[in-house]
Parts: sequence; C-alpha cells; structure tokens
Amino acid sequence: MRLTSLKSRVFGNGGMIFAAVAPVLTLLVAFPLLFVVLQAIFPDIARGIFANPFSRFVETLFDKHLISWTLNTLMLGGSVVLVSALVAVPLGILRGLFRIPFAGLWDVVFLVPFTIPPYIAALGWIMALQPRGYLEQITGLNFGGFLFSFWGVVFVMTLNVFPVVYFAVSRMVASIGGRYLEAARVSGCPPMRSFWRITLPLTTPAIAASLLLVFAMAIEEFGTPAALAARSGFLVLVTGIEQRLSDYPIDLPGASLLSVILVLIAMAAFVLQNRIVSRRDFQTVSGKPGASRPAELGAWRIPVVMFFAVIGFLGAVMPILSVILTASTRTISGGLAADNFSTDNFTEIFANSGGAMEALGTSLSLGLGAALITGILGTMTAYVVVRQRTVSSRILDFLTLMPNTIPGVVVAVGLILAWNQPWLPITPYNTIGILVLAYCCLLLPYPVRYANAALRQVSVSLEDAARVAGAGGIKVFFRILMPLIFPSILAAMLLVFAVAARELVATILLAPIGTRTVALFIWRQFEQGSVGMGMAMSVMAIAITMTIPVAVAIWARKQGRLF
Amino acid sequence: MVNAENPSLQTGSPVIATGVSQRFGSNTVLKTIDLNVAPGEVVALLGPSGCGKTTLLRLLAGLSRPTTGSIHIGDQLVADAGGGTFVPPERRSIGMVFQDYALWPHMTVAQNVGFPLEMQNVGSAERDTRIAEALGMVGLAHVADRQPGTLSGGQQQRVALARAIVSRPRLVLFDEPLSNLDRELRESLVVDIASLLRKLGMTAVYVTHDHGEAFAIADRVAILHSGNILQIDAPEQLVGNPSSPIVVDFLKLGLVLPADVQGGDLMIGGGARRLSPPAGLVNGSRSGQLFLPRSALLPSNGGNRVAAGHAISGTVVHSMFRGDGYAVQMRFDNDISLEMFSTTRLGDGTIHDLDISWDRAFWFPHEDVQTDHTHNA
Ligand SMILES: Nc1ncnc2c1ncn2[C@@H]1O[C@H](COP(=O)(O)OP(=O)(O)OP(=O)(O)O)[C@@H](O)[C@H]1O
Ligand SMILES: [Mg+2]
Repeated sequence: MRLTSLKSRVFGNGGMIFAAVAPVLTLLVAFPLLFVVLQAIFPDIARGIFANPFSRFVETLFDKHLISWTLNTLMLGGSVVLVSALVAVPLGILRGLFRIPFAGLWDVVFLVPFTIPPYIAALGWIMALQPRGYLEQITGLNFGGFLFSFWGVVFVMTLNVFPVVYFAVSRMVASIGGRYLEAARVSGCPPMRSFWRITLPLTTPAIAASLLLVFAMAIEEFGTPAALAARSGFLVLVTGIEQRLSDYPIDLPGASLLSVILVLIAMAAFVLQNRIVSRRDFQTVSGKPGASRPAELGAWRIPVVMFFAVIGFLGAVMPILSVILTASTRTISGGLAADNFSTDNFTEIFANSGGAMEALGTSLSLGLGAALITGILGTMTAYVVVRQRTVSSRILDFLTLMPNTIPGVVVAVGLILAWNQPWLPITPYNTIGILVLAYCCLLLPYPVRYANAALRQVSVSLEDAARVAGAGGIKVFFRILMPLIFPSILAAMLLVFAVAARELVATILLAPIGTRTVALFIWRQFEQGSVGMGMAMSVMAIAITMTIPVAVAIWARKQGRLF
Repeated sequence: MVNAENPSLQTGSPVIATGVSQRFGSNTVLKTIDLNVAPGEVVALLGPSGCGKTTLLRLLAGLSRPTTGSIHIGDQLVADAGGGTFVPPERRSIGMVFQDYALWPHMTVAQNVGFPLEMQNVGSAERDTRIAEALGMVGLAHVADRQPGTLSGGQQQRVALARAIVSRPRLVLFDEPLSNLDRELRESLVVDIASLLRKLGMTAVYVTHDHGEAFAIADRVAILHSGNILQIDAPEQLVGNPSSPIVVDFLKLGLVLPADVQGGDLMIGGGARRLSPPAGLVNGSRSGQLFLPRSALLPSNGGNRVAAGHAISGTVVHSMFRGDGYAVQMRFDNDISLEMFSTTRLGDGTIHDLDISWDRAFWFPHEDVQTDHTHNA
C-alpha cells in the first residue's frame, strides 16, 4: 500500500521526474550556453579566471570582421528569405487554391530537400555547375562564376529551405479556401477581389512565420557558405566563428562574441515568429477544418505545372543526380564518358578505405544514442511541463526549447568553453561523449515538442479512468500514456537520428582527433579532392536517412493499431 | 429585380428551381427537384443527413452548378444547365449564413457586417448607418469593434445573420445555422431569425434536420429524402396530411404498420394480428402500409375491441416524467415503437390496448407508395 502511494506520488505529480530531469537539462543546455556569455565578458575564463571583465570587449566589438560578417549574415538571411518568398509563396498559393496536376507528387518532391543535408546539396551543385562540371559537359554552359558568388549561396540555400514556406502557405491557403471564401463570394465579392481581401490577409501570418523560420535556418547554416563562398573570402558569422576556432591563434573571446551576436539575431527571428504564430486571428484560422474545393486552372495548367516541375527538378532531382553521378564515376576529369562509370567508389567505401565504414558506424551509433537520450529526456520533460503547470515546469520548458534558437556552431563553442574548465574533475571533452552532448543539446527540442503535442491530446480523464480502474501511477504511465504518445515520440526520435547522424559544424569543431563521422568523412574527402568517395558516402547517408524512417513507419503500421 | 439600395419592406424575390438535379460522378445526389418559393416566403428544407439539403442550397447560392435544370431568382435566370447560363454567387445578390459562422477572423465585427455593402460600393457614411442598423436588429450593436473570435458561438451566428441581411439581399440562405449551438440558444435564436425575416419581408431557404426548428421558422417545409422532395407544405398540413410513410416516419407522426389485405381485413406481421378497417380505406389494393397518427390511438375503454380488429395492444418500455405528463415509449407488433403521451405513469412492461379511431387512419397502398394516398376522412 505504502509503496503504491509512493509510486503514484512520484509519477502522479511529476515531482520526482522534475528532480531527475532538471539537473540533466541544466548540464546539457544551460551549462554550455552560460559559458558562451561568460567568455564574451571575461577573456580569461578559459583558465577559470573571472578577471578583467570586458577588457577585450571593445577591441573585439570594433573588429572590422565582426561588422562585415554580421552584415553578411543579415544580407544572406534576407536574400534567402526574399528568394524563398518569390518562389515558394506563389507555389504554395497555387497548390492551396487550384487543382494542380500531380499535386501529390509535387508534395513528395518538395519533401526531398529536407532529407538532403545542405552541405551535400551544395557539393552536388558544385559538381554540376563548376567549370567543366556536368552542366558544361552537357550544354557547354558554365555557371561557376554564379555558383561561387553570394547569389550562388543564396540560390543553393533557397532550394534547401523553400519547402518550409511552400508547405506552410499551401496548407493555410487550403484551409481558408472553403467557407471563408464562399462567404465572401456570397457577400458579392468576385474571385480576384476575394483573394486580395480574404485569402492573402489570412495567409500573411503563415507566410511571415515561415519566412522567419527560413531566415533563422539560413543564418545558422554552415556547410553551404563554407563550401561555396569561403574560398572567395565571403564569410558570415557561422563560418567566421569556425575560422576563429580552427585557425591559429585560436580566438575564444572573439568566437564567443560572434556567437552571442548570432544568437541574438536568431532569437529575434524566433521571438517575432512566435508572436505571429500565437496571434489570435491566426489561431482561429488554423483551427478550422477546410472543406475547400480546389478551382480549375484552365489554360494556366501547362505553365503552372512547368513552374512546379522546374523548382522540383532544381530542389530535389538536380543535387541528388549530381551526387549520384559523381559517386558512380571513376574520376572527375573523366567526366560523363561511358567508360568512366564504375562502382569503384562504393567498393572502396565497403573496403573501409579512409576509415569509411568506421565513420558510418560512428555516425549511426551517435544518431541512435542521441535519439534514445533525447527521446527519454524529452518525454519526461514534456510530462512535467504538460501535467504540472508550475513555474519550475515552465523553466524546464524554456530550457528544452531554447536550443531551437541556438545555432549548432554556438552550441559547439559553448561545449568547448564549458568542458575545458580547469576545475572540472572529469570531462567528456576529447571523447566521443562530447558529440553526444552536442547532438542532444541541439536536437532535444524535437522530442519535447512532439511529446508535448501528443500529451496534450491525451485527456487527463484517461489517466484518471485508469486510476479508478485500479492502476498505480507507474502502470498508468506505461499502460495508458506511453502507448498513446509513443508514435509521436518515435517520429521525433527518427528525426533526431537522421539529423544527428549527419550533423556537420558542431562535429567539425568537437570531434576528438581521429574520430570520423559520415559528415566529417564527406567534408574531408571533398577538401582533399577525393570527391568521388565523399559523394559515394553521401549517397549512402541520404539512403540511410531516407530509408530508416520509412522502414520504421512500415514496421509500426505492421504492428497494427497497437500503439 | 429588387433594388438593394431601396430598403422597402418587401425586398425578397421569388425563387424558381425547375428540374434541377446534381450528380457527382456516378452519384446522383439530387434528382429532378422543382421548387417555387414566393416573394417573402420562408421555406425550410428538412431531411436526414446526406439527403442533399446542402447540395440544393449551394445550387441556389451559385457555389456549384446544376447537372440539369434551371434556377431563377426574381426575373434573373441564374443557372441553366441546358443553355449554359451560370451567374456566380457574387452577382446573385443573396445572403448566406453558414453552419460554422465563417466570420473572417482578420476583420472586426463591423467590417464583417459591412463587407457586402463595401462590395456594392455603398459610401462609408451610409455603410456605417446600415451596419449599426443591422447589428441593432440582431441585438449586438455593442460588439461592433470586437474581433469575431472573441464572441460566443451564439453571438457569432448573430453577426453572421447581420452580415447576411445587411445588404437587403433578394434571397437569404441558411445552412443549419443553429446546429453548433446548444438547445436553449437554438430555441431563442430561431424565434429571432423568424421574426427578423418576416419584418424585412425576405425570401429565405432554411436548411435543417430538426423538425422543431423547421416548423418554427418556415411558411412551408419541404421534406427532402435521398435527393427528392417528398412533400412541400405548411407545417400543419404536413403533420395533418403526410404524403408518404417516409414523411410519417421522419416526422415521427405515429405508427406505420406494413399490412396485407385479405378479404377486406388487414393482416399485420404475416397474420399475427388482424385489423378490420371500414370498407373504403384500403380501396382495392392488395398490400400497403397502415398509418395510425397518434390522434387515432386512444386508450381502450374495454370490451372485445382487440378481438374485433379495432384495437392494437402495445407493451410499455418506459414512462418518462415530462413535467405536464408522461412520455411513454411503447413497443407494438414487429418491434415498431412509438412515443405516446399519458397523464398517468404506466408501469414498465405492462400491456395496454389502444382503440383505433378509423376515421383518422391513413392507408398507403404499395403500388404507388410515394405520390398517392387515400384518406378516409
Ligand atoms: N462535391 C461533392 N462530391 C461528391 N459527393 C458529394 C459532394 N457534395 C456532397 N456530396 C454527397 O452528396 C450527398 C448529399 O450531401 P449534402 O451535403 O447535400 O447532404 P446534407 O443533406 O446537407 O447532409 P447533412 O445534414 O449531413 O449536412 C452526400 O452523400 C455527400 O457525400
Ligand atoms: Mg448539410
């Protein structure tokens, strides 16, 4: 009896879960981020000394690079937003309002960019557009000058992130399409005017919110600007920070200050985005089920389908095609000649040349570890946050969602600073453990959000009913809650796995000497000029991150409605 | 065509739908509908879920095109499948109230209500007056500057009503406007809508699946069943003189007993019970359905009337106290049940005989169940 009541108190009010989760989250999230701020203020904090606060502050602040990198970051983010808006807003509105031929196909095609890591897409574009690249071999046109310029970076990054806007806008427009538009038509409003008066104003928050998300993604991206523009001297804050940490002399205060600036910009974008999404009229709209009947395109069918096809080809087909071509040709200089095609690169990968198989194994285990840890932590946190609406639970909520606004490079800087403190008795630094910490910190928001949403769907009365039926707290958790929310948590864990298994920038900065991951392998192969093997590894990385979620989804469906 | 700028008392136009049908692929949802609505008349479309009420309303609104047939609003031909005429909703000068309100969340209440006037290019001073007037009519003048999302469901539907009538449209359409509201609100709003429509003299078509609502609001009620209008009549006429067993069944007007005719007698349930109607009720048909309205079933005053074929017996399932008496659920032959009224509580499971007053009975012969019936009154 006493045992049961103790257990139910433990799980019932979440007190013990809180006690278990809070220190872990503090260590995982707050500890490294705190040191980014401390380092920016105290230049000698790396030696554990709080002396001379702000002594290097002014000097770093007026560093000419700082200003130009910040401006470059804003310019890049702004340009990606602009081009994404030009491409994805019309696409999304067309998709939401009209019956588009092959609509389902386009939705799948536009999901593909999410599954290609941006740095791999960038490398694919390099192979395609560089001088004597595939495009020049086929058509004689050379876009190398464009690709390695600012607008080349914008172009490649836009193709990576525009689906965010496309899906947000098309879903929103479709849900407005039904009653709101009919009410306008019946009130005497012609179709074009209804679009301007009803559809567009109601879609604006979705457009703005998704574009802010695109902005945040663009300013955090490392691989694309590093691969395309770093050589020509165009650096943004992310690539600048990486340079400060990898070029001698290593400049920790500089990297920290740059990190703080980057975080402030990212946070501003997220705060603004949050404000828009939580506005009332926006919610009213998103809550309505849309019984819309898409209109016919008529004579515009062909041009509209061409538009979808061109963007789909550029965003999904082209980079993957280029990666596959490079992976399956013996030498780059041999080009697209028939006798140059071979499986040599894959054979070498499987023969563990350059530690390829180890890199693959390391990445898969890191992904699995991060998925398990964030899955468990996320579920526990979400439980406390959803079921126990107190101040402390809100702090947990904040801690777990904050990494969402923190770029990977900043998390890496924080981990370097925090775990190199001389007073620490033990440290995971210089072990593979530091990568687990980095991925967990970065990706924790996904499981928390998914579990949060799932738990909110589970009415408290379901738990109460189980209690009344005689189940104790632990039983309720595992027999009632877990089966109901597990599919969501599994989905989040798959996402964590896929992202962690190919993370680039934090891995570059944190991986201990001699440790190779898939991302590092690809990156280094490219830097060393053995592009073919790097691309073969890319093909495998894409294949794995695409197939494992599908396989798990099929497995879950086979289990029937068990969950 | 009535001028919307001139709010005369009689603003409604007649509506004439001729031979209208609607097919979605191979699914015929409306079969040849003929409907005439007089100016200023309120017609309710009543029917079970999926019978095509919304489909018919959307055809009147111009939100979809008929497969066959034509529709006139006033003298304007708004849809003609044969001639290819189709007037889009914005040029039909109608108003519509939706089940889910469909108030635009990015506009205030006043902006929502003023939208139809804005579309007619009514000047802003006059617009303000008419918005205030319309909101006043629905009792919501004080919420003009609020966002619709901050109002209760009943208030939102009143705003939607104000928006539908503000431009004095020729025709107002309602698609189950009250079904998202709770019962008390429904009952008060239905009265408000009915009196407002009468006051403004508006033509209206009102879709509902609740007969209380239909009877409360409409001059005539059309019973829609799987794509056909079975009967269209004033509520009193509908109840007193239903045209088919389906109407009886849908309106729960009384007992419908399938019967075979043998030597002038009715054999119910394959002969389990024999009833002896007066000559002339059955009128030569060999089988059909006997309809006994509630008023034709009276508590038995004893005697041998069951054996003589002039009464039926039913078992009490349950008596429910209803304030002014008891609602008694009774089960008759063939598991047919009917709710009766009684001033005293009848014990559950007891068997009671009910005398049939034959002069109120109906006979629906089998040969032509849907259109014809004889009435022995
Ligand atoms: N656009 C459409 N395409 C195909 N079938 C449709 C379409 N619209 C309606 N239907 C079908 O037509 C039938 C009648 O639909 P309708 O919406 O008119 O019913 P209703 O009488 O309004 O029912 P309810 O009371 O549930 O609103 C239904 O079976 C429905 O599935
Ligand atoms: Mg309907």
